[in-house]
Amino acid sequence: MLQQHQHHHLQSAITAAPPPSATTSTPPSSTTGEAPPKQVALAMDRLGQAARLIADIRLGADRLLEALFVASQPHQSSKPLHLFRQEDESMRQHLQDLRTVGKQLEESGVLNESLRSRSNSWGLHMPLVCPDGAVVAYAWKRQLAGQAGASAVDRTRLALKAFTDQKRRFFPHLDDEEDGEGTDTVSKKHRNLPALAEDNQDNLSDCKTLSDVLTNLEKEIPNLKVSTYERLDWLKRASSLPASANDNTMEAPKHNFHSTSILRPAPQNVASMDKVAVIELFFPSIFRAVVSLHPAGSTDPDSVAFFSPDEGGSYMHSRGSSVYHVFRQITEHATVALQYFLGIRSKTALYSLLHWICSYQTLFTKVCNKCGRLLAMDRQSALILPPVHRPYRTLSVSKQSSSQSISSTLDQGSNAPEAYHIGCFSDNM
Amino acid sequence: MSVVYCHIFRRLISYNPYRKKSTTMPLKRVFFWQPNAGSTVNSQILNEVSQCVESINGVKEGRWKATLTFYKPMLRDQALSAEFPREFIGISLPEQPNKYYFVLRFNKIVLESDSSIQLIMEKLQSYKSRVALNFEGFQYQLGDFQLRVGKVVPSHSENLRGIVMEVEYLPISSLEKSKQIMEEFFDIWQDAISKRSLPGRFIHIEPDFSDYGLADHYTSQHTAVQYTHVTSQLIASVQAVQTGRN
Repeated sequence: MLQQHQHHHLQSAITAAPPPSATTSTPPSSTTGEAPPKQVALAMDRLGQAARLIADIRLGADRLLEALFVASQPHQSSKPLHLFRQEDESMRQHLQDLRTVGKQLEESGVLNESLRSRSNSWGLHMPLVCPDGAVVAYAWKRQLAGQAGASAVDRTRLALKAFTDQKRRFFPHLDDEEDGEGTDTVSKKHRNLPALAEDNQDNLSDCKTLSDVLTNLEKEIPNLKVSTYERLDWLKRASSLPASANDNTMEAPKHNFHSTSILRPAPQNVASMDKVAVIELFFPSIFRAVVSLHPAGSTDPDSVAFFSPDEGGSYMHSRGSSVYHVFRQITEHATVALQYFLGIRSKTALYSLLHWICSYQTLFTKVCNKCGRLLAMDRQSALILPPVHRPYRTLSVSKQSSSQSISSTLDQGSNAPEAYHIGCFSDNM
Repeated sequence: MSVVYCHIFRRLISYNPYRKKSTTMPLKRVFFWQPNAGSTVNSQILNEVSQCVESINGVKEGRWKATLTFYKPMLRDQALSAEFPREFIGISLPEQPNKYYFVLRFNKIVLESDSSIQLIMEKLQSYKSRVALNFEGFQYQLGDFQLRVGKVVPSHSENLRGIVMEVEYLPISSLEKSKQIMEEFFDIWQDAISKRSLPGRFIHIEPDFSDYGLADHYTSQHTAVQYTHVTSQLIASVQAVQTGRN
């Protein structure tokens, strides 16, 4: 009850400040003549003052109530009356000051959005007081701090640190090349790799178009179901997943890459290749991977994500995240691998990426090459996971005859891609 | 006669083999506790098992409860009872609150029906509940695994008759593809629980799902079959202890 009274009092004090009338259409030249950062600084100052005044008013109200309470007790001297008068005076002064500050703030446009419509803002918006009393001021505080406090050297150092952190996280392979302290064997190994990659790229020079890549993939890997979609079509499909897994054989998927040549006449097939923006790789009962191409119809992948074969929903796209930990971890690893393929083997990035994705068909059967187990408790995340890492640097994607296709060499074969748990995987693999 | 009854019953529940199969679920293995010779199950073991789950980073999520009921037909002429299915079991599962499952173990039949069938049976006075068991306990999340540890008690009683454990791997639903994962998880579990030197161990005996007409994709019907088998094994082991005593 008392709190409400105080708030009401304060609110009426603020709204009591008369709005800037039409006659005073030109605010005092001191505010418009100044640069916006100065205006911002002044506005922040005044907001601070207003806050202090409001605090003083609250304290004063408390003291007034105290004085009244004491006065209501019997046998009191004139002390409470004296107190009361004192507080009354200081309260009136505070309220008057608050009105003045409020007027200034209104004129500067802080309490409403009028400054945004004024052209002289240089893109720096004034701090705004929200209806709940919060002050939205963060952006210019940093701006002000940058201009007032940090020197150019400091700012450069911060920027460099932020950049190297990001680079280390998303482009780990670039680190090695710049590390001049590597041992001879390490640097030799890396010198050989680009050569190897070049070789492979020559071999695959005839796999340039999207349909070539996909046809080749389908030939080599029998369990795989490849489908292509335009971007919006994929969204529709994702929302309708999971189509009942048992009915797969009865459904005739319209966008199945392989079957379009059977179900539709060829010219239509060729035309739709130009608009293909999403490739879906589906290993039944194991996983579903979504790769996005940018621009549509090209062989440039720009993102990839893995999902459970039973998952469905509009969140399933190449930048989405599975609800299951195992597929989230693989997606993270895949993003790094994609950057590697785009950086080192940009001509065959899509082909390498798709083949690398297919190496995950042994996700639930291939044991880790380092510790020999299928499941392991990952220390960092406290999760039990299968080996979610497949090395991508040493992936050789030269064309293989069908007798050597990846799926025929079962998990124990020497040609089979390796697999590692998160903890068993070291960066130079 | 029992075959005819089965057919009538099937039509009652509108079972159609060509209907779309029930939705796939993440796969699950149900284990039961086998006490060592000469020892019995008690709530101390249950506590130790729960603590063990938490020691491998299991996060307690909530409670779960499943029920299993043995039905016997209400017949005027008791002599006909031999013609009826020997074990007629009804199961309710927490993950399917709107469904009720029937298993005829010796006829290898499993059916999924709406949960209102229980009301129908009561109104028809066709079958009566002979014995009912509750499986209840806590559920734990371990990353992509979900564990349920529960005690087996007859309904309307607090007598602990057994302990069951469900291990569910959420990302996939293929029995064949997940076999290795489940076995290795059980190895990890065995490592953890053997440190506590408990007088017994968890056992899983995989029923032959194809006998029941179930496919590789896991469904709640598979779970119903597992619970049926676990119950019969529990009963057998309890009886073995009793005959051992006598």
